[in-house]
Amino acid sequence: MVVRTKLRKVSILLALSLPAAFNPGLASGASDLASLRSGLAQFALDTHDPAAALRYTRNAVTEAERLVRAKALLVTGSYQEAEGLLNELLEGQYYRGQAALLLAELAAGHGGNGVREYLETAAKRASGSARQKALYRLAEIEREAGHTDRAGKVLASMEPGYWAALGYMNIAADYGRQDRNPSRALVALRVALAMSEGDVDSQRSQELRSRLLVRAGYLAYDHEDYEKAIGFLEKIPLESYRTPHGLYLHGLALSASGNQRAAMQSWHRAKKYPLAYPGVANAWLGTGRGYDLAGYLGQAGEAYLAANASYESERVTLRKLADQIRQKGAYQALVLDARNSEAQWFLADNRTLTQPRTAYLIRFIEQPTAQATVNRVAELREMRQTLNQREDSLAVFRGAISERLGPVGHDVGGGLFNEDIEVLVQRLANLKARTTSPAQREALKGAARTLADLKASVARLDGRLKEKDRTLNELITRTDLVRERIRAVRRKANALLGRAESELDELALAYVEAQDHRMAFALDRTEQQIAHLYEYLALENLERGQP
Amino acid sequence: MVAGAQQTVTVRRQGGVVWPVIVAMLVACLFGLTRSAFAESLDHEIDRLKADVADLSQTLYELEENVLYPVDTQVAVFLTLRNREGLDLDSVELYVNETPVASHLYTDQERDSLKQGGVQRLYIGNLPHGTHQLKAVLTARSANERFVRREATHQFRKRPGESRLQMTLDAAAPDYEPVVSFQEWK
Repeated sequence: MVVRTKLRKVSILLALSLPAAFNPGLASGASDLASLRSGLAQFALDTHDPAAALRYTRNAVTEAERLVRAKALLVTGSYQEAEGLLNELLEGQYYRGQAALLLAELAAGHGGNGVREYLETAAKRASGSARQKALYRLAEIEREAGHTDRAGKVLASMEPGYWAALGYMNIAADYGRQDRNPSRALVALRVALAMSEGDVDSQRSQELRSRLLVRAGYLAYDHEDYEKAIGFLEKIPLESYRTPHGLYLHGLALSASGNQRAAMQSWHRAKKYPLAYPGVANAWLGTGRGYDLAGYLGQAGEAYLAANASYESERVTLRKLADQIRQKGAYQALVLDARNSEAQWFLADNRTLTQPRTAYLIRFIEQPTAQATVNRVAELREMRQTLNQREDSLAVFRGAISERLGPVGHDVGGGLFNEDIEVLVQRLANLKARTTSPAQREALKGAARTLADLKASVARLDGRLKEKDRTLNELITRTDLVRERIRAVRRKANALLGRAESELDELALAYVEAQDHRMAFALDRTEQQIAHLYEYLALENLERGQP
Repeated sequence: MVAGAQQTVTVRRQGGVVWPVIVAMLVACLFGLTRSAFAESLDHEIDRLKADVADLSQTLYELEENVLYPVDTQVAVFLTLRNREGLDLDSVELYVNETPVASHLYTDQERDSLKQGGVQRLYIGNLPHGTHQLKAVLTARSANERFVRREATHQFRKRPGESRLQMTLDAAAPDYEPVVSFQEWK
């Protein structure tokens, strides 16, 4: 019996110690508070509050805390301190892989050395998504150096998922450029498609799948394998961002295989999308060409004229957009105005794909430079807004503290409360003698503890009241200092925002101008087609007029 | 002779065409370099500003807590998940002495963070010394696709100094019945 009890105790102890052994954040009983802090920091970081994460990890002890702190430091731009912590973690026990990956990203972003070594460590030590990301980056290093086979070997060691799919997609692009025969590229794309199914993020997986299908469809079409191209393109979901491009290519493949009617249906569907998307401008042209090839010359002329009108109207839209960028700035005209719409939620998905301004924003944001530039402006605007809110809160705090300054009242003091407490203690003692049940005794014990706590607080009250004004004045001084700091930081933020916004304006105007050139080029092509058509009709008429 | 003269003219013409192109390319390269250097310096300055703002935010948090939640009366309630897969939290409402003090609707990001070991501070406020009742009402979807709504209450005694209450949610297989446990920290 005793043995059984002992065994039970041991098993309970083991059960209690197991989670701690597997979770480095809960290493020992003494570190429970550290684990709470680490968890709080993790949650703050995950919910985009890096400042709170830094505050919770100020005295970071455990490796988990130091990792969260390093991540928060990276988010807030303190790279040197982050690097120091990550290097410590690299020598540590639990997070070597994650630290190595972060160090690799840091080195790559700042032109540092040792990216490959860090990635190799990450691939060896990390697990899950971090390991896959490290392997993908290693494969990319090989691919960019022209060693496609080595890159393939690295990719072959990866688990199915987003990163592997991305790696195979890039390899397929290389094969597509190098080979005259598309088979290697198509095989790589098929592998990428299979790998993308292993992605846990379904939205990301769908998006990548559409991208892969467009590429595969184009590659097959380019090598005159129209059936295969149609097969790939018909798998693209209709609500995808790649749909208009896919529809255009689908039309091309159908047209090339002689089915003009079906081709025009695809192009007609593609024409519903804004001209900003790839393939849409060509789909307008394709409709005219389709009628032409089908022998309906009148409809062909009308289709070309419609395309012409549509390109003209788009050029007007682009000119208006350029004017708005000059007047309101690119961030307001392109980003905020595209976001602010009164469309109902059930139209939101449709809107994102069919609104011309949103379409231009999406196309603009596809460029890495544009992403970085918009991100800078967005970050600085958010910072400015946060600083404004903080200053408002501080003004309220200052008012509240000022109200507490001055005498509290003549009759406030510890003595008065002590008398009341003594009366209550006496009543408690009387009741204690009359208790009959354990519950009653427990309740009285609790009340006695509270009275003892109150007595201790009251004992400190007189001292605190004497110190009150000094403490409050200290708080006011601290508040004023912080307000000054907020103003200084906001001035700096405003200056940087001005610079970032003017850079964005410049980039956006260049982009809009490039889009205008694209429309002008499309316009030239339709005009040429119309000219050819009229020329042909005139010659036909002449021939018919001859005896 | 005529052919030679023609050749000379051709060479001059080529030079005339090539030089402006080279100059234009150089200008374009310089412009590109200046632009990337400009962007880089802007990024450095933004990073420094971000660090300043983060530092300022920490100072502000401390100040706010000092002003709003004096240590002796401060009570904070935290939420953690014990089982990663058992529950998908939808919302939590918190009542102190039957008064609603906090309610939270969870985003996917927050749910993921809790599942990864994140701890959420659900509530921070002031309470007098003595006994109080904490009630939590949670709605969630369990791993066996059941929508659940559960209430849990906990009596606690507010004592001098910071009081921290940790609310842990568990839903173990096979029935994934939510169990709420409370732990007090000093």
